[in-house]
Amino acid sequence: MPGEPGTPGGPGRFKEVNPVEYEWSDSLPAHLRELVRYRELLWQITQREIKVRYKQSLLGMLWAILQPLSLMVVFTVFFSWFARLQSDGIPYPIFSYAALLPWTFLSTSLSFAVPSLIANSHIITKIYFPREIIPLASVLAALLDFFIASGVFVPLLIWYGIEPTRNLLFVAPLLVVQIVFATGLSLLLSAFTVLYRDVRHVLPLAIQIWMFVTPILYPASVVPEQWRVWYFLLNPMAVIIEGYRRSVVQGAAPEAGYLIVTAGISVALLWMGYAYFKYLERDFADIV
Amino acid sequence: MKIISVERVSKLYRLNRLGARSIREEMVRAGRRLLARDGLFDSDDFYALRDLSFDVEPGETLGLIGPNGSGKSTVLKLLARISYPTTGRIIVRGSVASLIEVGAGFHPELSGRENIYLYGSIMGMRRADVRAKFDQIVGFAELDRFIDTPVKRYSSGMYVRLGFAVAAHINPHILLVDEVLAVGDASFQDKCMLRIEELRRNGMTVIFVSHDMAAVERLCNRVMLLERGALIASGAPHDVIAIYQRQWVEGSRK
Repeated sequence: MPGEPGTPGGPGRFKEVNPVEYEWSDSLPAHLRELVRYRELLWQITQREIKVRYKQSLLGMLWAILQPLSLMVVFTVFFSWFARLQSDGIPYPIFSYAALLPWTFLSTSLSFAVPSLIANSHIITKIYFPREIIPLASVLAALLDFFIASGVFVPLLIWYGIEPTRNLLFVAPLLVVQIVFATGLSLLLSAFTVLYRDVRHVLPLAIQIWMFVTPILYPASVVPEQWRVWYFLLNPMAVIIEGYRRSVVQGAAPEAGYLIVTAGISVALLWMGYAYFKYLERDFADIV
Repeated sequence: MKIISVERVSKLYRLNRLGARSIREEMVRAGRRLLARDGLFDSDDFYALRDLSFDVEPGETLGLIGPNGSGKSTVLKLLARISYPTTGRIIVRGSVASLIEVGAGFHPELSGRENIYLYGSIMGMRRADVRAKFDQIVGFAELDRFIDTPVKRYSSGMYVRLGFAVAAHINPHILLVDEVLAVGDASFQDKCMLRIEELRRNGMTVIFVSHDMAAVERLCNRVMLLERGALIASGAPHDVIAIYQRQWVEGSRK
């Protein structure tokens, strides 16, 4: 009905998303409840992120597959055929692709989440919503890429005649740990970047260095025995990647001790990252 | 039940803490501070609001007036939850739509259509509810031909029209309107005034910031005068506007 005057907060127009009463809160459970109320917005912003990303690239969805796949091909040719790098007896394409999948998820999450708050400053300075939705949408969009790229892994495994075993079930906890870790780090660094813009410039270098100290090109077994404990304790991505290799390719269970420690680190990181994010969030609009 | 309660709110801006900086800059500063030995106090602290308290009743149209820098826009930012009070407490019992500066928070790469849906979902509306209002919003904004154009190609007038049309049709409990309407042409401004009056009659609470005293007197049933972050006067529009004009407008002519 054109010109029909609106009823403020009329029935059916607002659902519970709009708090009847609100105050700034300091408690994490209250923040989480609010995030749940805004879940529809999180979904919409994720869709927007995916749309904007694929709209601008010529290859569209294919990009998600091409990124790990092209690296896998290059790695196989140069590191396996030419440089004869060992791979724990696993066919090198599978060996590297199993590592590139979780790695690409982390690096994509970070490279989109870290500058996301600055990129969305025009919304942050105009309207309220829980700000964590913006970096979370980046992580969710990266997760979609991860699932698309994982689809290519299945025919690859069949091609190399790798049979699934019961230990394939470990993929579920590995996936959870991987998501928790990436989310925690994304929240922490995206908030930090609002304060210190140079994080944005350091990030690509940091990701690159991190990639080389993570067992992607080479197996973790090349790390000298006496350093290996520290290696796994200090680099959660090493534990996650070796875990995937074991459970998907070798049909073995991941090393339980390291996996539990890494899960603990990831949960602590998410908790800290979220708390830090919400602490800084109040000042975002004044700073950004 | 008050729809808005502002209790002893202050907002402090640390001028030299504003804006992002680099880690190097931070270290240089820390070094300088150690050398200067003048401790943690910054001379550049600036109170945008000082110990401000007021309430708003549901259905009121409250005007905020005052010279530039008096804190009017800061009040709106705090009520919209964009900015956080340094001290004090704010309780808002209802949903808030705000028109602060140009553009209600649109994404430049997305089209007008996509932005209407995005804004609706930020405001907590379902897609179907936005769809029901869509034609009305586009019609009000007079943007039928440009609704699928990315908003980065909009003129500032088109931007304001879309912003106002969205905010005024999604039926929040509280509508915050800053200076923005000054950007539109006279006929659109008039249309906005009529729309605000209509919303008021339906019980919406409106907070209106303007330098246009005629508009304030026409729309508001209460006016607050701010100066340097403090409340100077509050009451009937005619009286408060008279105080303002006596003190600042005429004062500046002398």
